[in-house]
Amino acid sequence: MNMFSSCMITALVILTLPIIMSSTKLYKNKLYPYYVKTATSYAFMISMIPTMMFIYSGQETIISNWHWMTIQTMKLSMSFKLDYFSMIFVPVALFVTWSIMEFSMWYMHSDPYINRFFKYLLLFLITMMVLVTANNMFQLFIGWEGVGIMSFLLIGWWYGRTDANTAALQAVLYNRIGDVGFIMTMAWFLLNLNTWDLQQIFITTNDNFNLPLLGLLLAATGKSAQFGLHPWLPSAMEGPTPVSALLHSSTMVVAGVFLLIRFHPLMEHNQTIQTLTLCLGAITTLFTAICALTQNDIKKIVAFSTSSQLGLMMVTIGINQPYLAFLHICTHAFFKAMLFMCSGSVIHSLNDEQDIRKMGGLFKVLPFTTTSLIIGSLALTGMPFLTGFYSKDLIIESANTSNTNAWALLITLVATSLTAAYSTRIMFFALLGQPRFSPMIPINENNPLLINSIKRLLIGSVFAGYIISHSITPTTIPQMTMPHYLKMTALAVTTLGFILALELNLTTQGLKFNYPSNYFKFSSLLGYYPTIMHRLTPKTSLTISQKSASMLLDSIWLENILPKSISYFQMKSSTLISNQKGLIKLYFLSFMLTMILSLLILNYHG
Amino acid sequence: MSMVYINIFLAFILSLMGMLVYRSHLMSSLLCLEGMMLSLFVMMSVTILNNHLTLASMMPIVLLVFAACEAALGLSLLVMVSNTYGTDYVQNLNLLQC
Repeated sequence: MNMFSSCMITALVILTLPIIMSSTKLYKNKLYPYYVKTATSYAFMISMIPTMMFIYSGQETIISNWHWMTIQTMKLSMSFKLDYFSMIFVPVALFVTWSIMEFSMWYMHSDPYINRFFKYLLLFLITMMVLVTANNMFQLFIGWEGVGIMSFLLIGWWYGRTDANTAALQAVLYNRIGDVGFIMTMAWFLLNLNTWDLQQIFITTNDNFNLPLLGLLLAATGKSAQFGLHPWLPSAMEGPTPVSALLHSSTMVVAGVFLLIRFHPLMEHNQTIQTLTLCLGAITTLFTAICALTQNDIKKIVAFSTSSQLGLMMVTIGINQPYLAFLHICTHAFFKAMLFMCSGSVIHSLNDEQDIRKMGGLFKVLPFTTTSLIIGSLALTGMPFLTGFYSKDLIIESANTSNTNAWALLITLVATSLTAAYSTRIMFFALLGQPRFSPMIPINENNPLLINSIKRLLIGSVFAGYIISHSITPTTIPQMTMPHYLKMTALAVTTLGFILALELNLTTQGLKFNYPSNYFKFSSLLGYYPTIMHRLTPKTSLTISQKSASMLLDSIWLENILPKSISYFQMKSSTLISNQKGLIKLYFLSFMLTMILSLLILNYHG
Repeated sequence: MSMVYINIFLAFILSLMGMLVYRSHLMSSLLCLEGMMLSLFVMMSVTILNNHLTLASMMPIVLLVFAACEAALGLSLLVMVSNTYGTDYVQNLNLLQC
């Protein structure tokens, strides 16, 4: 009997303490953000103990503590599953959140509602933990909806701005469409397997898991912004940068991928769903990488980069490598959060300037931010032996050497080179060259809150890949032997992307921008997808409803078929065939005269 | 033929004359139409009651119903004419307007 479950529950309870304290005087205190940050850091350190126990001995635990209700034959209880996935994800998420909270103490310093901001961030973290450690689908759904709601509240943080409200609503609506799939899966499991517990689902044999897995795929498409339900992720950049760093890069958007990874025993034997996942992920990663090439807002480029990496994770699940996808989730969290924090530092230093065409020459002025931005971009593109290498390179190798869809593989490789291209674009426009911003801004990055938080994630971006991949228990065996050209594929396409982008940027630096070509317009307007979908679909449904309800039922069936058609027909025919002049008195008089005459004459008939 | 019948028949003829001969208002012919209906109703009821034609005692009711319908129709036509011209003078019903 060891302290595994006690430490884990302690860590989760520490997280909820500042929320409970928010009804006391502590909440009005100016030090409340500091308390929240400290609580998160303590929770991280305490959760490292069970993780190290797990790494040492491979111990997994399921804590099932409260029986809620039993509905006829199904038992619902509160249970936490602390296995490989949740034990490694929880410390990573807590570490990244600790850094982001310290960063947002600097970023949101002048906000009057900073206490409420921290409370929302902490609520989000708690629901994410609930999602990750859930052992039954009901608890997972609670966490799922919780992160959706907190995403809505945090994206619309500056609610006076119309665009922020629209973006928050967009996020909720797209997530809702995914939730339909989740609920369908829950209903199927309830009807066919009589349970919502993951253990019972995995041991029950059934021939055809197509329908619930399709539902899970739809849920992942909605939450992880795959192609078809993707526009909410770049719009979500309306929220403050810490929100973008926490939710929309490391934790919330990986919830969809995490769900598919949780259900990998069901997906292992279902080739159809794997192919669907693979193709969906491949389309997503290529499409969003193309869109990222011509964006001008630094946060939108990083958002599309996130979307592209999420597509890559779906590709990994599609080639039946859930553990690699999970490794990519953990490593991606480090450098993506750091990229967002560096862009937040740049934005704040330039007095809220987000357009990369108005930045430049920050290499000498913000040396630390420049360093971390470049290291983060290199880690993202999979530079050998940085963090991204240990997951991304393994993914590309596995995809190259597996019996998979060649088209999906090809466009994944193209998207990998485009990753390098837009990373070069960020670095070139934001950091290098001569400054393009107004010189009257005092630029200072000397705040210890900023420096320490980015420094922690920087060390994580460099070393975390090595540490994690050499500590975990071996799962699926990676492919050891392959031809040298396959092994060098990822490196070659990335280098190609770097060189091409650098050459193009340097060559066209001084040229005038002519009329944009069709490809530019396609990429810059996000493939016309939001323009079409947000206008055509509502207009079609509203027109159909108006035509069927108002025109068809009311006007035609109730009014026009009998009453109005009869009156119209009568009027038309009477005007057509009547040739009277309307002299009524004459007609009446002649009638009377005729009657009198006939009575008189016929009376004396005989 | 007894006196009652002649009386009612005379009422009918009078209303008929009134309907066919009038000066300007369309309303007067409608009123005389009602008078005709009334006299017909009375004659029908007296005949049936006097000759004990029990099976035909439904007919005055039916006559009343149709009289009501036709009165409504006549009135609606009057209202249409009056809407167009403001009065119901019969000299308005020429071909210039419908």
